[in-house]
Amino acid sequence: MQHAVELEELGSQIIEASRFLEQAEEQLAHRVVGQLEVIRRVFIAMLVNGHILLEGVPGLAKTLIISTVASVMNLKFQRIQFTPDMLPADLIGTMIYNPKEMEFYPRKGPVFANVILADEINRSPAKVQSALLEAMQERQVTIGSQTFPLQEPFMVLATQNPIEHEGTYLLPEAQVDRFMMKVIVDYPSYEEELEIMLRSATTASKPPITTVVEAGDIFRARALIDRIYVDPRVQRYIIDLVVATRNPGLYGMAELAAMIEYGASPRASIFLLLAAKAHAFLQHRPYITPEDVKAIAYDTLRHRIRPGYEAEADNLKSDDIIRQILQNVQVP
Amino acid sequence: MATLLLLLLIFLPPFDAKGRVQPVVSVTVTPDTLLVGDRIHCTITVQHAEGEAATLEGVNAVAIKPFELISSKRHSSAAPPGQAQDIFELQLALFGAGRQPLPPFTVLLRNSSGGVTSRVSYKPSSSVFVRELTDASMRDLRPIKPPLTPPIPYLLLMPVLLGAFGVGGVVLLLLFLLKRTVRNSAEKVDSSQVAQRKLRKLGSSLSAGMPPHECYEELSNIMRSFLETHYRISALEAVTQEIERDLKKLGVAGFESIMNLLKQADLVKFADSRPDVEESRQSLDKASEVIRSTRKSPPPAE
Repeated sequence: MQHAVELEELGSQIIEASRFLEQAEEQLAHRVVGQLEVIRRVFIAMLVNGHILLEGVPGLAKTLIISTVASVMNLKFQRIQFTPDMLPADLIGTMIYNPKEMEFYPRKGPVFANVILADEINRSPAKVQSALLEAMQERQVTIGSQTFPLQEPFMVLATQNPIEHEGTYLLPEAQVDRFMMKVIVDYPSYEEELEIMLRSATTASKPPITTVVEAGDIFRARALIDRIYVDPRVQRYIIDLVVATRNPGLYGMAELAAMIEYGASPRASIFLLLAAKAHAFLQHRPYITPEDVKAIAYDTLRHRIRPGYEAEADNLKSDDIIRQILQNVQVP
Repeated sequence: MATLLLLLLIFLPPFDAKGRVQPVVSVTVTPDTLLVGDRIHCTITVQHAEGEAATLEGVNAVAIKPFELISSKRHSSAAPPGQAQDIFELQLALFGAGRQPLPPFTVLLRNSSGGVTSRVSYKPSSSVFVRELTDASMRDLRPIKPPLTPPIPYLLLMPVLLGAFGVGGVVLLLLFLLKRTVRNSAEKVDSSQVAQRKLRKLGSSLSAGMPPHECYEELSNIMRSFLETHYRISALEAVTQEIERDLKKLGVAGFESIMNLLKQADLVKFADSRPDVEESRQSLDKASEVIRSTRKSPPPAE
């Protein structure tokens, strides 16, 4: 009974603490038409300290969403356009010589911000990608002999274009795994596109964005998310889903084994739980249900499963494999 | 040997007693060994005085048995001055067996007015060997080919095959429809009956001291199994929201009650809610009532 009271209390705190996200959504709607699912995924990553890889064709408002989220949340935003001639120093900073004082001092790079938009991350060589992904993982950067912690909250949203691969450097699996989610940005609906056209086809400047969120709101939300109740049944369900990507035969999907070259890592289980908690938070729920897990399963698992040769021959994508797993693993 | 030259050269005195040139006759024959019925090629060369013509006598069919004349050809060729040369090409078939001497013949020399000026009888000393026809020699002659099998008339068989396939297909379809009808009727009865039986058993377990939260978990499983078999939705692998969406789409009677039961069970399972025994019993009664009501309203047609 005591536990039920605690959960009820947590539920009311969550409702109160998640109000800032509704306000942020409202503000974002002034600037961005549709793409609500993408916006919610950005909120989820922000709430649990994750990073997102956004994939979509050009012109789908990826950059607009991210810059607007940063503006609404009063966070320092940096956009870094990744190019083939980029160096790690262009990202993290470098030591500059001061002739007046005859000594070197560190000049911090653009990575020192709260929200980083790594635009077209696959256009830069591996060493630059590694520098960013190391910063994402360690949340600190070393320039010369000095180590600087990155600002909190710190979130990287990297974009890559799925249709143009010429002159790109494919992100290695180990580095892709560090992204909590890979979100596919899709085309807007007919009505949404009509709205986008009417709103954008003007020479007048856009109305300014009102800042409605402070970094403190995010930290308070994070503290509550940590308290969200996760029943052992749901914990096992998460593990079942992740194990099924590695060994589908255990769950009655033997035919799927040949389709998967390799499955999701244990990092997937961690991120699946964290993202499910954040999803429950957005639903104002103090506990996780399998529905929360299913809702974020595609985004959390799709970049962690590599379809095998047979899957490619059958034109099966990782999303199709995840769909089959979700349809076959029994829900608690 | 493919070709045997049988040469018999008779040297006649170049002039007879009256001072006339004597004819010179030579015979060649090929082949020297053959099978019964095969043909030999015989060349007779007659060299004689200029102004005369040579003819052969005694090479007709009757006279030269077992040889039989198939064809004969005569032509002249160049000869030394004052002489002439006639060549007879004979094609003879052989019907005897064993060694056969060549038949004798007579060379007649005629002058320009057609009168016989000279007659020379000639008996060749050469012979040919004729092999009899046996099974082995027949095979050598013409290898026995395997008997020909008549081609299968596919075009004529096509209507028969298509007919057979058609009949088979209709039989399979009828069997499938029959099986499905039987299964559907069995499931309609069974799914609700099985669910009711499980609910009764669960009620007994609750009375025997089963913890209410375990009762709710079992209740949720019973309801999902029932929905899966009765409405053919994958309720066991679906979350409550997905079941809600499917049932709404199907327009299921008692939708609200089913969802209330599932959501209550979700609270117990995932939110660590602890209902008391009385609440559990009420939920079981409600579930039983919902399942009973579905028997009155059958599942929507597919």
